Formats: sequence, structure tokens, C-alpha cells
Amino acid sequence: MAAILGISALYHDSAAALIVDGELKCAMQEERFSRLKNDQRMPLQAIANCLKFAGLKAGDLSKIVYYENPYAKFDRVISGLTQHPLKTLKSAPRILASQLGSKIWVLDEIARSLNVPRSIISHSNHHRSHAASAFYCSPFGEAAVLTIDGVGEFESTTLSLGNENGIKQLESISFPHSLGLFYAAITAFLGFPVNEGEYKVMGLAAYGAPRFEHEMNQIIQTTSDGLFCIAPDFFNIHGESSLGYSSKLTALLGPPRKPGLKWNIDNPDDKRFADIAASAQKKFEHAVIALAKRLKSLTSSENLCLAGGGALNVVANARIEQESGFSSVFVQPAAGDAGGALGAAILGAEEHGGFKRQREFSAALGLPLDIDSGVALARDLGLRVTLCEDISVISAKRLAAGGTLCLAQGRFEWGPRALGQRSIIANPQQLAMKERLNNVIKKRDSFRPFAPAVLEHQFQHWFNGEANQLTKFMSTVRSCKQAETIPSALNTDGSGRVQSVSQESAPHFHAMLQAFFQVTNIPVLINTSLNGNLEPICADYVDILNFYLRQGVDDLIMGDYLIEKNKGKIS
Amino acid sequence: MTRNVFSRWTTIKDMFKYFAGEKRYFFIPLLIVLVFAGIIFAMTQGGLAYVAPFLYTLF
Repeated sequence: MAAILGISALYHDSAAALIVDGELKCAMQEERFSRLKNDQRMPLQAIANCLKFAGLKAGDLSKIVYYENPYAKFDRVISGLTQHPLKTLKSAPRILASQLGSKIWVLDEIARSLNVPRSIISHSNHHRSHAASAFYCSPFGEAAVLTIDGVGEFESTTLSLGNENGIKQLESISFPHSLGLFYAAITAFLGFPVNEGEYKVMGLAAYGAPRFEHEMNQIIQTTSDGLFCIAPDFFNIHGESSLGYSSKLTALLGPPRKPGLKWNIDNPDDKRFADIAASAQKKFEHAVIALAKRLKSLTSSENLCLAGGGALNVVANARIEQESGFSSVFVQPAAGDAGGALGAAILGAEEHGGFKRQREFSAALGLPLDIDSGVALARDLGLRVTLCEDISVISAKRLAAGGTLCLAQGRFEWGPRALGQRSIIANPQQLAMKERLNNVIKKRDSFRPFAPAVLEHQFQHWFNGEANQLTKFMSTVRSCKQAETIPSALNTDGSGRVQSVSQESAPHFHAMLQAFFQVTNIPVLINTSLNGNLEPICADYVDILNFYLRQGVDDLIMGDYLIEKNKGKIS
Repeated sequence: MTRNVFSRWTTIKDMFKYFAGEKRYFFIPLLIVLVFAGIIFAMTQGGLAYVAPFLYTLF
């Protein structure tokens, strides 16, 4: 038996992935267990649960692969410090303490924590791990692979070709020239937390006009050959991957937004910030489309795989899909740093007998839901628990009547999107539902959009284009053909981060959508993640019941059980 | 204890191999000091006060 463990850790969103005899068994993020969003610590709970799921012990592991090269990373950090000694004088002790105190010893720490020989532990390369996670999980035998990130060891962006011989890197762009750095700096400028608030910038951009285009062109210069460079003076680069903006950016764009203030898009100040978000988003899209077109000309491939944090920008993905010239595009669902664990495990497996590619990649790679324990706890908590013969029909009727549901089924998702395993489901027909979900249930900024989920066979009646690998994992946006019917599931421009749901991808959710379609003649529901503001998505039954009791969701569906707070009559 | 020492030695060896492979020989004296500081830091379980004099002297 060959058991290969991949680990990503110590920067943000740590995770573990396990491959046994070439078959992907599971992949989980530490945040789902520690309940700290984007937890960056060594993913000991995720590792323990991966091993438990596969019925293995740490001693059974043949190989452990860390997702990046700690020595090269140290090299970049120390190079930055020695090149800019005066600028980094204050931060140098902190950065060096972090590197020398833990980060360069990370492989030793893994050996010590798991009590395994150091000799079975090796490392990969940051962007190679990203590229492997995308290419080997895609359905393509041959594909161009584009990774866009803040920074790995030295590279921020790589352009590669994947085929039966493996992944060959063709070109790369090195730090500080980084689209991730640019987007992170704008995220911080708008008062959102870096490595967490980037998708809020994307959501905010829909409310603004790109009137800062000239300013953005000063920050990033794109060239006619598809490459780009940034003007480093606008950023606060401290040698490590500490991301931020300099006073020069403030002089260019005006005062930054204070973190934590409530948003009001009608306020002129907030409108200015929305315009900055729209301008940055447009510049980002322009740069990634140019990169994708360059990669197309380098490889002549029909297929494109995307990974790295930049691949989580669904609006940019939609434009890549339409404008880059590739016939098919695939984005690995955990495209950010968590996905590096999966890529590292795959690269380890490729050297250890080969990785068995799946016909259809599934994001349901977490632990299964323990329904019996969940039901027992719900009863102990005094909740009303009913075993239903046709839970889908009951759910559909309640949703049609304006109710909201927590849906918990099967193994929890890999990556930041809830795809019907740990979701909050609602009726998209009334615009007021958006306010209710944002303000009452999820308690987050009112401009944040929700995603529509549609029956796969109904996709073309409701959205532009066809259902594909991107819509399966909510990795793109599409315009809705019947926007007035489902206003609360769409952005202001009538588009949505749509999920196509099939019997194979999410059987319970598919049955619920089918039943809702029969009741309302609408095959679309709102699907948003089962978590509150700044919380990780729920994993086990304790998290789910905890969320359900705290928040204003009407009912909870666990397996075939309907769980209610109020003793209402089931209809 | 022996296992931990072997583990640390493997990392130090790999790191020197990396820097030599990249032909960054001018970093080696600096690395020796920094690794020494790192070992003290690790042995004192995060005692920044013991390491800080090395770092402030260098920068």
C-alpha cells in the first residue's frame, strides 16, 4: 500500500489531502475543525481526520509532501531584507524570528508532530503544487495551466503545459510583480482583511464604475505580449509576503477606508470606494485575460486549467472563458493555498506509482455527516425531529412558502464554496430574501450577493451558455435569462455565480431542486454557505446545530430528518 | 532526542544544499549565524529575547 499525505500550512488556509494507492481519499481544511477562518497553523486536526477516514495511522504513510520549498521561501525573504535593509529595519526581527523559529523547520515539525521518520518527508514547489491540483483533477488529458497567486517561493504567476508526461513550466513572473499582491493591497485599502476580503472587493465592484482606470494603469502596466509588471512603490513590501499599500497609493487614490465601518453604497465616500473596487477588478481582468491569451499562443491547447488565489475571482474566470480562446476551462474548487495540499499529494503519488485521475472530480472530500449523532443531539436540545419519507417534497413546499433551510448531507466540501453538502437554501423569487439572508441570518454587508443553483438539465433555459466544469463548482458568473423571476439570487446586473446541480454531483440537493421545480415551475434556489459572518463553513453535526440554534434559519435538514425549532405542523 | 537532532541536521543539510545549488555562496556566513540563532530560538521555545541581539546586530 502507498499512502501519500499532502500538507499546506503556515501562511493561510492550511489543509491536508490523502491519496492511497493512487486514489484520492479525502482533502480537508484545518479551519473546518479548528473553527478559525483561514486557519494557517499546522493542520494537525485535518491530518488526523484524513487518516481516520482512510482507516490509517501516521505510521502507515509512505510519503508526506509539503506544498512549497521552505528554503527557497527563506531565500526570497532574506534577499528582500538584504536588498532593502533600511526599509525593512523595523520588521526584520519579526520576519526572521518567524522564519528561523518555525518556517524553515517545518518539515522537522511535521516529523515530530506525526512521529514519523524525517526521511519520508519532502517538499514540492508552491506553483507546481497549484498547477498539479488543477491539471490532475481536471478531465483533460492535455491542457494549458495558469497559476496566479500573491507569491510562492519567488514566482507569483506561472504558465505551464500539462500532458501525459507531467507538467512543464513554460514561463513565470516573479515577485514583486504580482496580481495577487495588487488585489490584496486594494483589499486592504478598502478596509477588508487581506487573504479573506478579496471576494468582497469583487462583490463591491458590481456597485461601482471603473473611473480610476488611469490610476490603475499607473499601478500595473500590461504589455502587448500579454505580460505585466507592477510599480512596487505603491506597495508596502517587507521581504516576507506581508501585503499592503504605501503612502504613494493613498496619494494616488485618496484616503483609504477605515476597517469595520458599515457600508452604505449611496454615501458618496462609499461610492468612491466601490468605484476603486470596480477599477481594480477591471484591471485584474484585463491582466489575466492577456496572460490566458499568451498561454493559448504558447501551447495551442484547447483546454485551460486555473489555480492559485487569482482563480477564485469568478468574474475574471467568466471573461477568460469567453475571451481567451480556450474551448474548456477548469478551476480546482480549492484554488487558493489549501489546494496546494492536494497538488503536493498528487505530485507525491505521481512519483510513487501514479495518481488515478477521476472521471468526474467531486468537491465532497470532507468527513461524512454523522446523522445518528446529530439527530440524538437535536433531540437532547429539545428540537423537534421528524423522519420524513419524502424530505425533498417537504423542503420544497417550505421553501416555496418563503422559508429558509439549512441543508446538511454527506461529506463536507473541499474549498470555499458550499455546493449542497453544507448549505443554506432559500427561495430566490422575492428580492427581500437577499436582505433577510444578509442582515438577519448571515449578518454581513448588505451588498454581498448570493449564488443561484439550477438543475443541470434546465441550465440553458435560465442562464446563458451551457453547464460545464466551471458552473459545476460555482467558478464563473453567467447572465440570467429570466432575471426578474429570481432577483435575490443575482447581482445587480442580472448575472449570478451559478451552480449547475446534477444527480451525480449532489443527489440530495438535486432532489430538492427537482421538487421545488415541480411546486413552483422554477428550477433555481439560492445556495449560500452554511456559516455566519467570518466563520468557516460548518463541518460536523455540532457545528451545524450550533449555527442553526444561533441564527434565524427556519428549518434544518439532516439526511432524511427535518429538524425544527418550533413545533409547527408538517405540511 | 537523537531523532530530533537527526531531523534538524537533515534540514540544515538540505538548506545548505539549496543555497549552494543556487550558487548563493555569499549567503553562507550569514546563514550560519542565522541558523545558530534559529537553533537557540527553537531550543528556548520561542525565546525572542535570546535571539534578538543577533538580529539587531546584523540589521
